[in-house]
Amino acid sequence: MIQRDEIQLSAEGVSLSFAGISALSNVSVEARQGEILAIIGPNGAGKTSLLNCINAFYRPDKGRIIFEGHDLTHLPPHRIAGLGVARTFQNIALYTGLSTLDNLMAARHLHMHAGFLKSLLYWGPARREDIAHREVVEEIIDFLEIEHIRKAIVGTLPYGLRKRVELGRALAMEPRLLLLDEPMSGMSQEEKEDMARFILDIHERHGKTTLLIEHDMGLVMDIADRVVVLDFGRKIAEGTPDDIRRNEVVIKAYLGEDMTE
Amino acid sequence: MSDTDTLPKSLRARFEEYGSRKIAMRKKDLGIWQSYTWQESYWQVRQLSLGLIQLGLKRGDKVCIIGDNDPQYFWAQLAIQSAGGVAVGLFTDSSPPEIQYVVHHSDAVLVFAKDQEQCDKLLEIQDQVPAVERVIYWDDKGLWNYNEPWLVSFGQVQSLGRSLDAEQPELFERLVDEGSGEDLAIFCYTSGTTGLPKGAMISHRNLIAGADSNLQIDPRSDTDEHMSFLPPAWITENVLGLAIHLRSGMVVNFPEAPETVRQNIREVAPQSVFFSARQWENMVAMVQVKIIESTWLNRFLYKIFMPVGYKVAALRFEERKPVGLLWRFLHMLGELAVFRPLRDKLGLVNAKSAYSSGAAQSPEVIRFFRAIGVNIKQLYGSTEAQTHTLHIGDDVRFETVGVPPPRMEIRIAEDGEIMVSGPTVAQGYYKNPEDSQKAFPVDEKGQRWYRTGDAGHIDSDGHLIYLDRMKEMLTLAGGEKYSPQYIEGQLKFSPYIRNVMSVGGEDKPFVTALINIDFDNVGRWAERQGLAYTTLVDLCQKPGVYELIRSDVERVNRTLPPAARVRKFVLLHKEFDADEGELTRTRKLRRKLLGEHYGDMLATMYAGADQVQVQAAVKYRDGREGVVETAVRIATLEDETSEEKQR
Repeated sequence: MIQRDEIQLSAEGVSLSFAGISALSNVSVEARQGEILAIIGPNGAGKTSLLNCINAFYRPDKGRIIFEGHDLTHLPPHRIAGLGVARTFQNIALYTGLSTLDNLMAARHLHMHAGFLKSLLYWGPARREDIAHREVVEEIIDFLEIEHIRKAIVGTLPYGLRKRVELGRALAMEPRLLLLDEPMSGMSQEEKEDMARFILDIHERHGKTTLLIEHDMGLVMDIADRVVVLDFGRKIAEGTPDDIRRNEVVIKAYLGEDMTE
Repeated sequence: MSDTDTLPKSLRARFEEYGSRKIAMRKKDLGIWQSYTWQESYWQVRQLSLGLIQLGLKRGDKVCIIGDNDPQYFWAQLAIQSAGGVAVGLFTDSSPPEIQYVVHHSDAVLVFAKDQEQCDKLLEIQDQVPAVERVIYWDDKGLWNYNEPWLVSFGQVQSLGRSLDAEQPELFERLVDEGSGEDLAIFCYTSGTTGLPKGAMISHRNLIAGADSNLQIDPRSDTDEHMSFLPPAWITENVLGLAIHLRSGMVVNFPEAPETVRQNIREVAPQSVFFSARQWENMVAMVQVKIIESTWLNRFLYKIFMPVGYKVAALRFEERKPVGLLWRFLHMLGELAVFRPLRDKLGLVNAKSAYSSGAAQSPEVIRFFRAIGVNIKQLYGSTEAQTHTLHIGDDVRFETVGVPPPRMEIRIAEDGEIMVSGPTVAQGYYKNPEDSQKAFPVDEKGQRWYRTGDAGHIDSDGHLIYLDRMKEMLTLAGGEKYSPQYIEGQLKFSPYIRNVMSVGGEDKPFVTALINIDFDNVGRWAERQGLAYTTLVDLCQKPGVYELIRSDVERVNRTLPPAARVRKFVLLHKEFDADEGELTRTRKLRRKLLGEHYGDMLATMYAGADQVQVQAAVKYRDGREGVVETAVRIATLEDETSEEKQR
């Protein structure tokens, strides 16, 4: 068992550029076991780029990503998922033609052991395994209060619910590190509050390390243990929400931008 | 049945009858219907009840419950009542100040609050309800890390109960035996539109009388299924759900979540369903939308067989004629192809009785459901007296709310108010003798009545016609009461009438109506009649159209006492218009402005002329203003246009 407060994930001196334009320059971030770490920053600050580096959608030009002692920098994304890192996406990436249930069950494949032939016959161990996975998935459905859309095709669902299904899919992978890319973007105030409650409950119940990206400071400041602020690809501040609220540099970079919006 | 004169005694009787051999309740949880036998149900209640005693509950104490439809809600209520307490239900959407009011007013000493959401509300008002010893929750999600000694779990209370049961195994049975039918069982706080909520005190005898009377009308077997989705704080679910469950052994099913009721009801297919008028309407709209989105084959079958359904239903229920062999054959095909599948989709496939409540149900909706084989009945009632009237058997009429159930009496007071009396009339309002006296008068023979605050009258067949709330009734010059909303509502049920304003008042000797015809429907009717017309102005003044509308007005008049009937009406040459401020944006009438716009016309109508010259200013869509000049005929209905002549 890993101790709380132990560093679980560290990005060390990560730099990334696209065609000479720097997206991240020498960013170092550490996530401790069991905390909710929020990465905030104005549009284009490099938040999503950093997340994409962590689960290897992008390869950093410099620096490395270490998760529980594994160097993720050169691993393919599915291996990283296998190590216990799950994420949701800013613009939702689900199987839109499948039901909520099937989307969540699909996420369980990481934990499935029955071979092709046994699964095909749906017999003995394969069947038992399927039932066990369904139980895990049903717990998540209950937890996220999406019983009423269990059989609904995801593509027909409203945006706020799709975001919840996506969170459900990430949970179904039973990750040790949860990466959430703007889980509250485009939501109504009530949906945002619901989502914040779910994130807190996940954290409380399972003590999962959660790395959360958010453009909007409001609710995130209420739920995060620590906050990292990015601006133009650089880390400009790090600390508790209260520290960040009082930080001059942040106020200038972040709130200043808000006022001109 | 004096040995089962309370709900807990009824629970014990069912437990002794069925034990673990029969399912009492089901709850869908984690996608699977979990069932509880009568034995499990009984022991859940027993342990919980003794746990409440351990927490200090005494006979006569009040306990509030706020939560969704769950087995735990029913168990909590029965546990409270087994210990001699009174259960006070609260609606789940109540705000903290509303909860504070009821908890405080009812003198509750304990509160059941389902989950984090409800517990948070109680924590918010903790300081203002010092009498509450503990808050008991049954869904711990999100409450794991709460460090509040004020909150205890359902399970913790039950384990307190188990240890008391071990010490005094005869205690629970003794407590149940001590209860009597006259004891108060529940308080139902009514959401008074004026003033503060009032707590109607309802005894075990009240609930059991309501359940038994309903069972007499709609007998249920112990294999029948009930879907519990009406708020359990409401009298209706207490009688039609809990009490009938305990009296008849009917299985109660609880939905997985409030949002899944639609799906769950289909899985359960209950024998008896109860929806508001609006919910029935929504179902029709839903079917129509789904059919449009369906495959061509489904659309084709729907188009072919729905008219058959309508035709056969009209023969059976409206014309009361025998149905010919050919129609019966077609109807059988329709049953297989369309009606049964539709009923299945709506969860009505086993429905023997279907009730509508809350507002007048439009004949369109009733006809639709009759066509697919569901005969919707009206049920009219109140928290204070349960069911006042309902349609019994096939005696269903669009314009009435039915007849009183067995042992219920209806009387119309001098001023037209509906009064009810019978074993389901509540014991008064808690800590409110003044309103209790006003609402529950005792007559010279010592009989207790409930003043409903509704106006109505009884027709020659003993059916009650509900008009309106008393305070919405207007008075005519002669002192008689009439209801503009009733007349307008009933007239608008006609497909040929688009809008209508009825006019009366203390300066008017009789009631008149300004009617907008439905141009499309009347136009189609005129085409079928071979009646030529050009515009709305032309069409609405055709004598034939006047005759058509006259029959609708007479239909409504027949349901009204003579003084309240419509004596004169006109078919207007232009529609009431929201752009001219005559209607609100939600298409409600602006009576005052309409009264001014049509002031001259109304004066002419009351003066006795048979037509009126009008020059109406019209605002065209492009902003220009013009004037329409025409003569509008005034139709007069004679006094004897009533039942004698028609029947």
